Amino acid sequence: MVFAAKSAESRAADPETTACLRKSRATRIGIVPTAAAAALTLWSGALLSGALWTSGARAEAVRLPILAPTSGILALEGASQRDGALLALKHAPKGVTVERLVLDTGSSPQRAVQAFEKAVRGLLPVAISAPIFGPEMLAIMPLAKERKVPLVTISGTAKITELGNPYVFRFFPGDAVVKTAQARYTVENLKRRKVALIYQTTAYGQSGRRHLRANFAKLGAKIVLDEGLSPRVKDMTPVLLKLRRAGADVLVLQLHSGPTALIVKQAVGLKLGLPIVAGSAMHQPSTAALLDPAALKGVCAESGSSPISGGGARMRAFATAFRARFGRAPDAFAAAQYDAVTMVLQAVANGARTAAAVRSALAGGRHDGIAMTYKSDGKGNMAHDAVIVCYDGKTRLPAIVKRYHNVDGAL
Amino acid sequence: MEIGQLFLNALVLGASYALVALGFVLVLNATAAVNFAHGDLVMAGGMLAVALSAVLPLDTGVPGLLVLPLVLLAMAGAGLLFSLVAYFPLRRGPPVSVFISTIAVGIMLQHGIKALMGPAEQVAPPLIAGPRLEFAGLVASRQALATLVVAALLIGGTALLLARTQFGRRLRASAQDPEMARAIGVRVPVMIAASFALGTALAGAAGLLFANSYFVSPGSGGNLMIKAYIAVTIGGWGSAPGALAGALMIAFFEVGVAAWLSSPVAEAALYGALLLTLVLRPQGLFGEPAGRRV
Amino acid sequence: MAARAHPSEHRIQLMRRLAWICAAAALAAYAFAVADSYVLRVLTLAGTYAILVMGYQFVFGQLGALSLAQGAFFGIGAYTAALLGLKLGTPYILNVAAAVIVVVALAALIAVPVRRLQSHYFALATLGIAEVVLIGVRNWEALTGGGDGYAQVPGMALFGLVIPRGWGEFATVWSAAGLLAVLAWRLQRGLPARVHALAREDPIAAAAAGIDTGRLRFNAFLWSAAYGAIAGALAIPVVRVISPEVAEFKVMVACLAMTVVGGRTVIAGAFVGALLLYPMPEWFRFLEDHYLIAYGGVLLAAVLLAPDGIAGLAARVLPAPRSPGPPPAPVTDREADASPARPRGGAALEVRGVAKRFGGLTALEGVSLRVEAGEIVGLIGPNGAGKTTLANIISGQYAADAGQVSLGGRTLTGLPAFRIARAGVARTFQTPALAAGLSALDNVATVCAGVGRTDGGPAARLRRAHGVAAAALARAGAAAYDMETVGALPHALRRRVELARALALGPRFIVLDEPAAGLTADDITDLAATLRDLAEAGIGFLVIDHDMDFLLPLAGRLACLHEGRLIASGSADAVRADPAVIEAYLGPDFAASGGTHR
Repeated sequence: MVFAAKSAESRAADPETTACLRKSRATRIGIVPTAAAAALTLWSGALLSGALWTSGARAEAVRLPILAPTSGILALEGASQRDGALLALKHAPKGVTVERLVLDTGSSPQRAVQAFEKAVRGLLPVAISAPIFGPEMLAIMPLAKERKVPLVTISGTAKITELGNPYVFRFFPGDAVVKTAQARYTVENLKRRKVALIYQTTAYGQSGRRHLRANFAKLGAKIVLDEGLSPRVKDMTPVLLKLRRAGADVLVLQLHSGPTALIVKQAVGLKLGLPIVAGSAMHQPSTAALLDPAALKGVCAESGSSPISGGGARMRAFATAFRARFGRAPDAFAAAQYDAVTMVLQAVANGARTAAAVRSALAGGRHDGIAMTYKSDGKGNMAHDAVIVCYDGKTRLPAIVKRYHNVDGAL
Repeated sequence: MEIGQLFLNALVLGASYALVALGFVLVLNATAAVNFAHGDLVMAGGMLAVALSAVLPLDTGVPGLLVLPLVLLAMAGAGLLFSLVAYFPLRRGPPVSVFISTIAVGIMLQHGIKALMGPAEQVAPPLIAGPRLEFAGLVASRQALATLVVAALLIGGTALLLARTQFGRRLRASAQDPEMARAIGVRVPVMIAASFALGTALAGAAGLLFANSYFVSPGSGGNLMIKAYIAVTIGGWGSAPGALAGALMIAFFEVGVAAWLSSPVAEAALYGALLLTLVLRPQGLFGEPAGRRV
Repeated sequence: MAARAHPSEHRIQLMRRLAWICAAAALAAYAFAVADSYVLRVLTLAGTYAILVMGYQFVFGQLGALSLAQGAFFGIGAYTAALLGLKLGTPYILNVAAAVIVVVALAALIAVPVRRLQSHYFALATLGIAEVVLIGVRNWEALTGGGDGYAQVPGMALFGLVIPRGWGEFATVWSAAGLLAVLAWRLQRGLPARVHALAREDPIAAAAAGIDTGRLRFNAFLWSAAYGAIAGALAIPVVRVISPEVAEFKVMVACLAMTVVGGRTVIAGAFVGALLLYPMPEWFRFLEDHYLIAYGGVLLAAVLLAPDGIAGLAARVLPAPRSPGPPPAPVTDREADASPARPRGGAALEVRGVAKRFGGLTALEGVSLRVEAGEIVGLIGPNGAGKTTLANIISGQYAADAGQVSLGGRTLTGLPAFRIARAGVARTFQTPALAAGLSALDNVATVCAGVGRTDGGPAARLRRAHGVAAAALARAGAAAYDMETVGALPHALRRRVELARALALGPRFIVLDEPAAGLTADDITDLAATLRDLAEAGIGFLVIDHDMDFLLPLAGRLACLHEGRLIASGSADAVRADPAVIEAYLGPDFAASGGTHR
């Protein structure tokens, strides 16, 4: 066609155009050297990552890896758990050396499973300090059974001891214990029967709520308001006003640390004037640190123990050592994990050097820990005591006002 | 009076959200890029306030107010640094890479601060310390009222800066039409850096307010980022008054629906309302229907 | 038909296939050499993420639409497969299939209202949906088990055979990934790849080429949902626990990061991204508490050094898939008759009483115009008079607030732009709307995706499209540049490519918006001659321009717009002498100087 021919001419004639076009062809590199470079990179990457992924194990030391969610939504509890375990390792009995291996489970079952696999690589551990997060526990339990490695945990999720897995040992009183204590204190001691139950729409909150409802029903108290809160809620005014309107005479909480502090603060701000019986989050020093001491008057919490509330000499020594090592006050989670790892280490010191032996020691033994006495009820629940702590409105240090011993009768 | 109390508290929450949204939309306008780390910057401002209160002697009646200018200054500097790391190197590349770079910096901020200050929630000093106030059956903490005042001042001040000063005019010019602005002699990269500094300073102020009223932890950023994103979209993409309106609407919606029904319903309903808005009026309240000039 | 592919192109294809095979072999060899459950599990989950990212590439990589629902698809797919297996005990394959069906159905439901949303609105709508899914999964305890979820989810089984952990799951996931990669490749190769590139780079140009970008996005969304569901269903048996973490936003962020770092338009990018980023937190475990800081740092470095992704970097380093060779042979007359480039005979374009308002500004009011088949009408008027607005209304970029546009009696008002293009109204833009990354031939060939035959395999359709495009380029006078990347072409040539694209539609009417701007005198003469030839073939033209030397000899009639109203319309001479037109636009010097406007 006329125009095609003309264009070919003009293309040949116009140096600027051809120069422009010529430039776009300039960036060509040969195929073969590039492919070789790519293959080389791939192989060296594989080798390198293989090197990074192997863990060196010293033959004489015993392995007790610490798995805890130190990132994600349970980072706070996970850090407590980890630090309690680390302190226990530091205080290991004479003759027991433990290789340090701390693995973050990321508040995600997937990462927990990967952490478990990494923990059991090479030399099999005698036990694993297992994460507090329920779904993570549920994910690694079948693997622990396969590998025959006992898990010592403080996870509160009821199910972990209901699946017939002989390798799980829970060192924190489960919901069956602490929720009973929380309900009983509300009804029997505070004499309140019109309950506003506020729970978190997470695993922790939902599980606690079920137990609380059952307990209050048994005790003959009425639940006038039962409402869930997402962890992201900042303004609790709607639910506070609602429960006042519903005629509640006590506020029972099953919330995480931040939301617990928020609702206490806002309840005080609205002059609600109701006693508050909160979940274990309220006993944690980091939660109390968020509030003015005056705001804490009339606030109580359930827990397995309360390291900063005094107690025996060993508990006080633990609190001092923890503060010295980690620069902050310990909570019940740290104490419980400390007890769990200590029980394992003592079994090792008494001659249990394999996972199977440690498991037997845990299943059959009895341990006087700093928080309480631990003994398996046959299903892996080791802790059967709970405490209620209350704040007096003058300091941020709660006092233990009631101890519930052997709540589920298993000791 | 219940409705009054709910209204007041929603207003205070909305004022805090509004500061966050304003900082977000300033950067958005200047760069047409969504800063996924904005929420983390708010958190950083709050954490900075917490850290400062631990080291400085603040036994006055207005500890938060004393810390505020320091936070504003420091966060402005942080914003400049942020732009140098996450935005300027990628300016000429595909816009989606700025998403990722801001996400990456957000991750580093979040975990870096967690490594420094621990994972627990922390509380910053109140703007004005002292007992709560009561009037007409309503209860309000001094912090709540101070929040309203400070937020209004900061927002008003920013609006004045943008509308009445030469600097503000230049900022707006380079946001609206960078090519034209460059042609008339405005140094666009400097203006962009300034927008980052201003937006991040506002984020820092928001963080200071949040850290006292609602506490702050290293993970607080993600939720705030989403709220800002929603506010800006409902209000009208790129419109600063729209962002403020959107932020207030979110707060009122959250509090209102939670009071009427329940909080989980309010959460789901917020997203439902968002989706409805997007389908029925995608340009938001104050936005012009988006279109490319052809 | 198109010339036999240049020999080096075959060699390049061969090298690419070899590279894939080498990579697969390297992966298998590595897994075999290390062969421990830890590495296998990490690699298996990385494989599921590779599938997730491949799915994401359909909607985000190919079409550039930022969907934030991909994580939700993963989550719902996981939940569906897990709950079916747990509660009903159905076999694994059925669960996976059910997951795909449920997720795709859900995606179809949400795609309908959001399909017309642009960029960040689409992103936010999909984010909203993802958040609602998470809230539902957390709070609907009876169905999903709430925050705790369910344990003891059954593992993988194929036809009754239980697939063991470790090697079994690794092989299953990676075989699935391989098959899905081949499927993705087949879906995209040939003409669709070019169409997607155009839709991604310039949606307005795509609409002008008759491409239904809404439908493209809908299809891509559904495919991304299907892949996401498969990824979720495959990931669950590796963990055997179902809980809300699989539906959290973290999954979406990871997917996005892997897509961008790996390279979003290249399938290999999905594998690079997943294999690099998924195991990275594991590599950094020795940093204990600080490992996520390092992860963020590496992510930042990766995006700073390779903004187009790592595979994109490789693609730039390797030679382009085609080196310029002889252009494809021009289409024979018979084939030209069958192709859409053959003009269908002209039709009259009628504009009646069109009005358009933007907020308080009235851009057009009561504009009526008629252009017969084969007629060239020039549209003149000062800047801001509304000429481009009128062009946009005719071609469908804008919707008129009042009035009607029809072509040969068929009403076009209210139709989306791509339908108007397919109906026979083509247009060019003030700034040529082309995909700068594609060659001229590819740019024009995209037209055949919307119009033209759809039979034959992908290779045949691409060849046909290239044939049509070559003919159109020849007619527009740009045949010699068909293989050049449009981004490298000078302005005048780009205009010709755009004209070629308009011609490839087989239009009955063409609107040209300032076609002479920026052209040299020679180019303008060429252009005028081309347009006259086309008009003789029966195509009507509406030409907007300011260059009177170009327009006056060319146009039979002129129309003059001023402040949104048509102030004059008629023969060129009459309009030229019209005092209103002189006052508003031409200026007294124009008349005085005898009509030259230089």
